[in-house]
Amino acid sequence: MRVTLKMPKGAVSMQEGKIVEWLVEAGDAITKGQPIYAIESEKATIDIESPFTGVITPIAKVDETLPVGAPVATVET
Amino acid sequence: MGNLASLGQSKAIAIYRTMVRIAECDQRIQQGLAAGDLQFQYYPAGGQEAIAATIASLLEADDLAVTTYRVVHDIVAKGTPIREIMAEMYGRATGTCKGKGGPMHLTAPNSGLMVTTGIVGAGTPIAAGLALAEQMQDTGRVTVCNFGDGAANIGAVHEALNIAALWSLPVVFVCQNNLYAEYTSFAESTASASIASRAEGYGMPGARCDGTDPVAIHEAAESAVARARSGKGPTLLECVAPRLQGHAFGSETAHMDQEALAEATQNAPLIVVRKRLLEEGLATEAELAQIEAEAAEEVDDAQKFATESPPPGIEELDADVFADKGDIPYASSPVARQGVEPSGEHRSITFGQAVNEAMAVALERDDSVFLLGEDLHDPAGGIVKQTAGLSTRFGLDRVRPTPISEQAIVGAAIGASMRGMKPVAEIMVNDFAMVAMDQIANHAAKLRYMSGGRTAVPITIRSLSAGNVGSFGAQHSQSLEAWFAHTPGLKVVAPSNAYDAKGLLLSCIDDPDPCIQIEAMRCFFVPGDVPDGYYTVPLGSAAIRQEGSDITLVSYSWGMQEVLAAAAQLEEQGVSVEAIDLRSIVPLDYATVRESVKKTGRALIVHPAVEFGGFGAELAARLQFDLFEDLRAPIARYGAPYTSIPFAQVLEAAYFPAASGVVERAQNLLKGGS
Repeated sequence: MRVTLKMPKGAVSMQEGKIVEWLVEAGDAITKGQPIYAIESEKATIDIESPFTGVITPIAKVDETLPVGAPVATVET
Repeated sequence: MGNLASLGQSKAIAIYRTMVRIAECDQRIQQGLAAGDLQFQYYPAGGQEAIAATIASLLEADDLAVTTYRVVHDIVAKGTPIREIMAEMYGRATGTCKGKGGPMHLTAPNSGLMVTTGIVGAGTPIAAGLALAEQMQDTGRVTVCNFGDGAANIGAVHEALNIAALWSLPVVFVCQNNLYAEYTSFAESTASASIASRAEGYGMPGARCDGTDPVAIHEAAESAVARARSGKGPTLLECVAPRLQGHAFGSETAHMDQEALAEATQNAPLIVVRKRLLEEGLATEAELAQIEAEAAEEVDDAQKFATESPPPGIEELDADVFADKGDIPYASSPVARQGVEPSGEHRSITFGQAVNEAMAVALERDDSVFLLGEDLHDPAGGIVKQTAGLSTRFGLDRVRPTPISEQAIVGAAIGASMRGMKPVAEIMVNDFAMVAMDQIANHAAKLRYMSGGRTAVPITIRSLSAGNVGSFGAQHSQSLEAWFAHTPGLKVVAPSNAYDAKGLLLSCIDDPDPCIQIEAMRCFFVPGDVPDGYYTVPLGSAAIRQEGSDITLVSYSWGMQEVLAAAAQLEEQGVSVEAIDLRSIVPLDYATVRESVKKTGRALIVHPAVEFGGFGAELAARLQFDLFEDLRAPIARYGAPYTSIPFAQVLEAAYFPAASGVVERAQNLLKGGS
């Protein structure tokens, strides 16, 4: 099953987040709980952990700023 | 660490099972947040699972609990179905609060979880009230009140602990000390090394324990629960369990001691308890794996249930503000209520005596009614004898003097009202209500709505307004009805005479929603015709005190004295005045006012409160919009100037609206000016 990971609301004031780093590459096998990318919001830079185990395909590019809820990656679980 | 075996094998395993269910639920919510499917501020419970799971093992299903926004461990442990919890996270109609409360207000009275508050520390006085109701009804139920170390430093907690000890209430206060108040460490916010040590100052036992160890928690909580259940009173427990993540989902951890965090994460209670169960031979690897698999399945099912459930229908938007939608001001179909007609003998007694009589009648006819407030008991019987004789007649249990603790007074009333009691709380003077505004506006007014109608707060608050009786000054004389009326969920009542004071108060006491009756000192000693015995004046029914055709004067409370005096002067000048006494501001009998102003074409709204932003502004705006073509003059207001209330009598006299000013403004309107 393919699931889409969306830009999370990482803090109460967060409206958008900037992808500062991908910690995995396209085609990598990832596990639930593994940090997969870092975002910079109004408040801080945080690592986002994968909610699923599977194979990831990033959609968003580094330095791209996306609104909360926008697609960031897909995971084939 | 003692052996888990000391708890008994089945209890030790049951505690682990609850911890696993908590963690599974907590992690699944965070996965939803990480995937962007859920979007809200979430406060994870990681590290505190053992506290909730162990204390729950000491409770009966119908014991009560209050908690705070870091909630998921407490609510899962209390036995609320995870389906309902997850559905509330997704904002669905099948959630604990029909999707109207959300993660910070989970409420599940069926499993005893009565209040989850988003206001730090505010649950403690309400927990005292829940326990008071159980004590007064002699049920033997225990209330567990959870709060964090951050909450230990807010005033409401102090008031609640004092009143709970004073009244020997069956409550266990559980301070879950996770070592951080949001982004500030325990050491940065508290000079004392422990919260539990404060217990002695309140006159109750205190105990501090390792909140990651079920054996230690069980030992401390067992005697606390037993003490509460046997009627001996409250205990303050402090369970220390380091937080394993930032304050909220996604928040950074730079403020946390990184070494300690790493160590606590390695020794997370879930990991350690699992290891101990295996080491002590209480469970096999396969048995524990099965518990974990079952929890995952349960949460899978709950998540599926949640995502497949519908969102609340749009009709839910204004449901649960009040018991009846028609009580919402300007509702298209207002509630038409009939009062109960009086049958008793008519006498002339003062407004104050009528208020006293209303409370006596209510106490006599309904065992669930009780009074609480400062100085209510004999021989004082209230600062203006408003409760004289009642404690002698009904006892101190039902006419209950309180410390000077407005938050505890209102909070205790709220809690008691949620468990079948009908409390009448007195806030001695209106101005002191501001001290309890969090309890009044954030809790009494909102609990029905935030819980999706699962709970209700049928309290009555009585409060004197001491304006214009001679130099009480800026903090004892205000009229705060506009503040209250601006908070959806509160009913605001302002009688002008003795008959109404009694009849409206009896309506408030039987009303399913929180009511505030403002009793003006200016009216308090004025006699009027009052029937003996029970009768009611329905809320939301204005009285036309005088019919007329040239101008409508609208007021309430002591403003009516000035309006009626002015009306007499205007009548002498040949002006036909219609005078309307609103009697209650919420619910609002707008139809009566509108019909009157449509007929006269002119209106002046008079109130003692500050004119700027006062209730008159609301009414004027609405009348002008609805009746623009019928008006012969602009709608006018007459309230107090934008200043604090002055002391010197010459200034006080200039400050408050008076009959002469009403006459002058009415004459201007009749001339076509404003």
